[in-house]
Amino acid sequence: MKILPLSLKNLARKPGRTAALVLLTAFLALAVFGGSVVILSLRTGLQSLEARLGADIILVPSEAQSKVSFQNMFLQGTTGAFYMDAAVADKALEVPGVEKAAPQTFLASLKADCCSIKIQVIGIDPAKDFTVQPWIARSLTGDMGDMDVVVGCRVEAGIGEIIRIYEQRCKVVAQLEPTGTGLDIAVYCNMHTMDTLLAAAEAKGVSHKIASGDDSVISAVYIKVKDGYDIDTVNTALTGKLRKVTAVRTRSMITGVSDSLAGVSRTVSAMTVVIWILAFIILLLAYTLVVRERTREFAVLRLIGASRGMLGRMALLESAMCGLGGGIAGTGLAAIGVFSFSALIESSLGLPYLFPGIGTILLLAAGTVLLSIAVSALASAFAARRLSRVQPGTALREGN
Amino acid sequence: MKKQIIPGYAVFALALVISVGSVSFLGPWVHEDGTVGACHWASRALLGLGMLLSVLAMLAVLLRGARLGLYLAMCLSSILGILTPGTLISLCKMSSMHCRAVMQPAMTILFAAAGLAALCGAVMCFREKKERA
Repeated sequence: MKILPLSLKNLARKPGRTAALVLLTAFLALAVFGGSVVILSLRTGLQSLEARLGADIILVPSEAQSKVSFQNMFLQGTTGAFYMDAAVADKALEVPGVEKAAPQTFLASLKADCCSIKIQVIGIDPAKDFTVQPWIARSLTGDMGDMDVVVGCRVEAGIGEIIRIYEQRCKVVAQLEPTGTGLDIAVYCNMHTMDTLLAAAEAKGVSHKIASGDDSVISAVYIKVKDGYDIDTVNTALTGKLRKVTAVRTRSMITGVSDSLAGVSRTVSAMTVVIWILAFIILLLAYTLVVRERTREFAVLRLIGASRGMLGRMALLESAMCGLGGGIAGTGLAAIGVFSFSALIESSLGLPYLFPGIGTILLLAAGTVLLSIAVSALASAFAARRLSRVQPGTALREGN
Repeated sequence: MKKQIIPGYAVFALALVISVGSVSFLGPWVHEDGTVGACHWASRALLGLGMLLSVLAMLAVLLRGARLGLYLAMCLSSILGILTPGTLISLCKMSSMHCRAVMQPAMTILFAAAGLAALCGAVMCFREKKERA
């Protein structure tokens, strides 16, 4: 007597029962795979943000923090436009311990011709920049010329395409790799292009002039601290030397994000564990009920020569097959949901969100399917043991 | 015979969600300045395709003789539905926009499910025809 064909026939003979067991396991797999991908993506996003920022300190005008959350600007692409004197970058270099100072100018577009929301335009100085330039260099082989722009990965503009910002035609020359942050929906250009865009914005009635009336403006200065210098000491020195400027430590910004991420991870993990415990209990009950239903069937099998071990293996094999089906279905459904609606999940969480590598995802999927099989088999182990000990004569006499 | 109308009902239910969703909870947001973009017209096209699918599904339930052809038409309409947002009609250029983040993936999944249901119906009808022959 072969176990596999018999088990398959048993499952096919009771489609309702089989479907219920598969659905239950699918629910388990969906919770585990979906939850794990979300947690891993958040962690990858945070690592990407750390790598991408590059600077130790960011200098912004004092009023910037009241205008827009600097953290939100990075994480969600919330547009901000705040300006200070361009001389701040040179003054910062005079502070002991400052190795590099890279100025950036921000401009929130009124509305790009592509979308109904504002996009963040960031002007960089390629000669001084050390934060964005290394990432641009990976995508762009030549120099970034005037009216050339590099777009974040989530701005769907092809290379060579023209996008309009404040009615100015800008040519897309490269697209950056994903970071999972608001930087993905930003547009980068050099300072000459930014001056043109600022003038165009001025013509449209969007003022960017600072109180002094100086046209040479920047929005932030990214500071790299020399090795051997304490970042906090340099931070204090910068705050003391530069007036109307706030120095923000990037580490404190990332720590804030990390805390939020830990909170989300804990919630998702707790929910996954609760779902698993509940579903395991339901599976245990389901297989216990199956024992009662199948006592006579197993008694007949014993009478026609099936050994106890064979019956136990058959029950385990059937539950493992339900686990396999449910695991594949649940993982597939979770993959469709998590990957299709990644942009929605990212904007809902408001945290850096970047999928891990394909290898990790495949490994996670395989692990989830294996776990589903193991849990199904474990839940049915007790039932399989009882079924294998069925006394044929007693069972048939009692009519169970 | 009864089995062959089940995919028809499934497609009808999905088509209703597509039709209602494309102009409400799954549809693109109205621009801040009240203007409409290409994604607005994509949602209108999806509304039309959803209505077409629902009519075809109802006809497949009612007309026994034309069922195979109707199911095949539903499969083709579903492919058209998958291709409409993003490929045939462009959407907003930022992937964080509602039309790209919600409408496109949701419509792809709904049309794919409708297409699969219609394909099952077509296979059932084809088998029945073969058995009769």
